[in-house]
Amino acid sequence: MADLTRDDVRALARSLGLALDGEDLGEVTHRLNAFFTALAPLGALPLEGVDPAPFSFEP
Amino acid sequence: MTGDLLYESGVALAARIRRKEVSPVELTRACLARIERHDQTLRAFITVSAEAALAAAGEAERAVMAGQAKPLLGVPFAVKDQFDTAGLRTTMGSRLFADHVPTGDATVVARLKAAGAVLLGKLNLTEFALGGTLDFPFGQPRNPWDRERDPGGSSSGSGIAAAAALAAVTLGEDTGGSVRSPASYCGVVGLRPTARRVSRHGCFPLAWSMDTPGPITRTVEDTALLLSLIAGRDDRDALTATRPVDDYLAALRDGARGLRLGLVNELTHGADTDLEVRDAVVAAARVLEGLGATVEEVSLPLLPLAGAVFMALADSAGAGIHLTWLRERPGAYDAGTRRRLMTAALIPAALQQQAERARALIRDQVLGALRRVDLLVSPTSPRPAPPIAQGQAPVTSKDEAARRFFARRSYTTPYSLTGNPAISLPCGFSRAGLPIGLQLAGRPFGEAVVLRAAHAYEQATPWHEKRPPLL
Repeated sequence: MADLTRDDVRALARSLGLALDGEDLGEVTHRLNAFFTALAPLGALPLEGVDPAPFSFEP
Repeated sequence: MTGDLLYESGVALAARIRRKEVSPVELTRACLARIERHDQTLRAFITVSAEAALAAAGEAERAVMAGQAKPLLGVPFAVKDQFDTAGLRTTMGSRLFADHVPTGDATVVARLKAAGAVLLGKLNLTEFALGGTLDFPFGQPRNPWDRERDPGGSSSGSGIAAAAALAAVTLGEDTGGSVRSPASYCGVVGLRPTARRVSRHGCFPLAWSMDTPGPITRTVEDTALLLSLIAGRDDRDALTATRPVDDYLAALRDGARGLRLGLVNELTHGADTDLEVRDAVVAAARVLEGLGATVEEVSLPLLPLAGAVFMALADSAGAGIHLTWLRERPGAYDAGTRRRLMTAALIPAALQQQAERARALIRDQVLGALRRVDLLVSPTSPRPAPPIAQGQAPVTSKDEAARRFFARRSYTTPYSLTGNPAISLPCGFSRAGLPIGLQLAGRPFGEAVVLRAAHAYEQATPWHEKRPPLL
């Protein structure tokens, strides 16, 4: 997947009512693209049918 | 009163107070004087409540003279400024809460007060316990071992106060490593208890399924005592476990003999792990072997993903909490906090769902390994405390963002994602004189075994006796 541009990220933020510009916009763009890259390997994991419950043990 | 006495453990000070060798009022005065002397530089405290502390110490003194006995009677403590304290401002390390004064105590604070402890004040933290604060509203916290180094976070002040003996014992809160990281960087002991073992009532949230209050102290015995006091069911936190609290202090007597330890290959020998850190952790495993444990290598291949998976989940939860303030008062946040929360607000829900499922797979790997061994052993952090300036540099690429934010978090966040208890304790020093942290993780509600191994190691090594070079 191609990296998001600053304009993409500004538009996403605006859709949430967040004002994003200047240094914040550049850094948030880098951070968001880092997330997409770091989490890409999850697509190769056998996640189908996995129960996403936060805990698995009895209290 | 000497600095030597202030460096004694909370357990030892409580015993001296019971024997009437030490006055709670004199001890509290000595701590306040030490804070006055060192905290202009270290910035462990956001608020020092001297008057209230001296009043509480006076009450403790009268109780001692009347023959009352409580586990921490007259012992000075301090808590991360993320926990509510009745009548004492609680800032979360943020300008947004600079004047916030709660009407009640967090459960963990109330329980330590009920045990006789004397509250000295509120400890500095990265804003809203997130990490990555660039400009601390209440002063830049500094590592007592090297003032130009990061003390770790988010419970920065708790680590500093324990290491510099500004308080006898402290409390922090650990979502992704916020107790263990400052313990590691500051050369003290920090425990993340099992999820739901300790009440979160009165603790400002970051990520509800992972937020966990825990002790930061100078000895494992103090951590065991504090856990025994703060653990247990609390009706004001519906998630807290109903199962009985173990006798953690008694467990310390059992030693390491017979324990099976798994040295986590991906964290100990990983590409991000500094060689000095690796060598110190491997040497610590050998010490535990010498104490009667057996050690084997274990592989948990999904752990390097843990940092990114954790941040996708925890930061998104945090963004949900902060969304209205981010819209209405973005300028009130520190720039580092604002950028982190705004990033998280933009992570797609589908990716969060993938991360939640990956969390379950990581948990399966960790719990599977803990069916074969009693404890998982690794470094707490890949490197000793970095320079403060390093974390303040602008992020100029996505690769740099990944290195800075995901890699080091993969060392502590696996147990945040799984809910297992994990402790950090000192296992040596780098050539630059900085502490190195050893992490031991156990089975759910297996704190007694974690503490037992940690205590055995601590007592066999000299690291807990070293003190930072305060002027």
